[in-house]
Amino acid sequence: MTRHHPDSLSLMEYSAGNLSEPHALCIRLHLDKCTHCRSRVDTLDSLGAVMMEQQPKVSVSETMFDDILAKIDSSPAPELPAKAVPKISLLQKLLGEDINDLPWKRQLGDVSVLDITEKFPGQKEQVVLQKLVAGGKAPAHTHRGIETTIVLQGAFSDQKGVFNQWDFVVLTDQDEHKPVAVGCEDCITLSVLSAPVKLTGTFTRMLNPFIR
Amino acid sequence: MNKVTNINHAIVKERPVTTLDQKPARAEGRKDPWSQLLVKVGKDQDRKAYHSLFEHFAPQLKYYAMANGMASHAEELVQEVFVSIWRRACLYDWQKAAASTWIFTIARNQRIDMLRKMRRTSAEMPVETEDLWQIPGEDDNQPITSLHRLMSERRVRESLSQLPEDQITVIAKVYMEQKSHQMVADELNIPLGTVKSRVRLALSKLKVILQDQNV
Repeated sequence: MTRHHPDSLSLMEYSAGNLSEPHALCIRLHLDKCTHCRSRVDTLDSLGAVMMEQQPKVSVSETMFDDILAKIDSSPAPELPAKAVPKISLLQKLLGEDINDLPWKRQLGDVSVLDITEKFPGQKEQVVLQKLVAGGKAPAHTHRGIETTIVLQGAFSDQKGVFNQWDFVVLTDQDEHKPVAVGCEDCITLSVLSAPVKLTGTFTRMLNPFIR
Repeated sequence: MNKVTNINHAIVKERPVTTLDQKPARAEGRKDPWSQLLVKVGKDQDRKAYHSLFEHFAPQLKYYAMANGMASHAEELVQEVFVSIWRRACLYDWQKAAASTWIFTIARNQRIDMLRKMRRTSAEMPVETEDLWQIPGEDDNQPITSLHRLMSERRVRESLSQLPEDQITVIAKVYMEQKSHQMVADELNIPLGTVKSRVRLALSKLKVILQDQNV
């Protein structure tokens, strides 16, 4: 059961369609498992509909409806996503394989990382997967810029509490923490860094929000 | 054709969306007129119903496209949204979302999709727009009580009518002009904190804010 949710302002930006793709991914992964936030987004989507309804209207060209009919008559309907067919999960689609079998890069001690920024061409953010082995500890660190994180597997705890699978957390440069992987699974998180760090000599160290 | 269209308009006039607000809670399980039309499109490929939806929503969608800076592609967006409505109407479930909410999410996704295609680099994107932004009622893992979903649009309309103008202005800029909270602050020349607190006040009225969360 998730306990840490995205804040309302982020959900609103998601519903309005204003979030970058990596941020939308974090929200979407959370929504898949959190009925509570899904119903918050339902309300926000309705807010979008009502806002649209209350704005001015602009008339469309007279031939448009006929053009649309011509279009739907001339081109065969593409395959729609059939509800019955079990789809592969969004994460599988994104990562291509099981999350535990990825080419993880071992960092200091208990921490491994994998940069997946290239999965989001044209986006400004850095996107990083991090793994803390079961029972492992990450050194104390702060964050650069704003870091949005969702727990994909296992759980970690820090002074703010326990973050379980699908929990959502936003950390800033004000937050110093010392996460510990709790439970018997490796803890895997996905983090989106809003302000990419200026990469200098210690490239991999800086890449890793757990040990920065 | 003309006669048919008039009949449809008459139906719509008889039961305008706004009258739903006066109906008792038990009536909330019923479809609003636009949702009824959309169900007909999905079930019977009803072109008269489709035309009524077009007359009502196309001018809204065109403004939506223009407001968020897609003026030169506004008609293209409206067309794409309507082709999409026709093709996926069979997936529409009135118990999951009102027609206007469903259409808004299709328009939002279409806009995101068009922008993504316009700036597409040579690299293919592994994730599609609809993997990230969902259309309500399509491929839900768990069903949510339909009553809640149906109530949400009604409640939003009621709550919105009570909000002060400055809160509505901020929300409109976020939804219609795709402005971030920071951009809204810059444009209105007010601090970011003021923008955020206006949005939070509005969202707490709409009961989007969690009661147990101090954000």
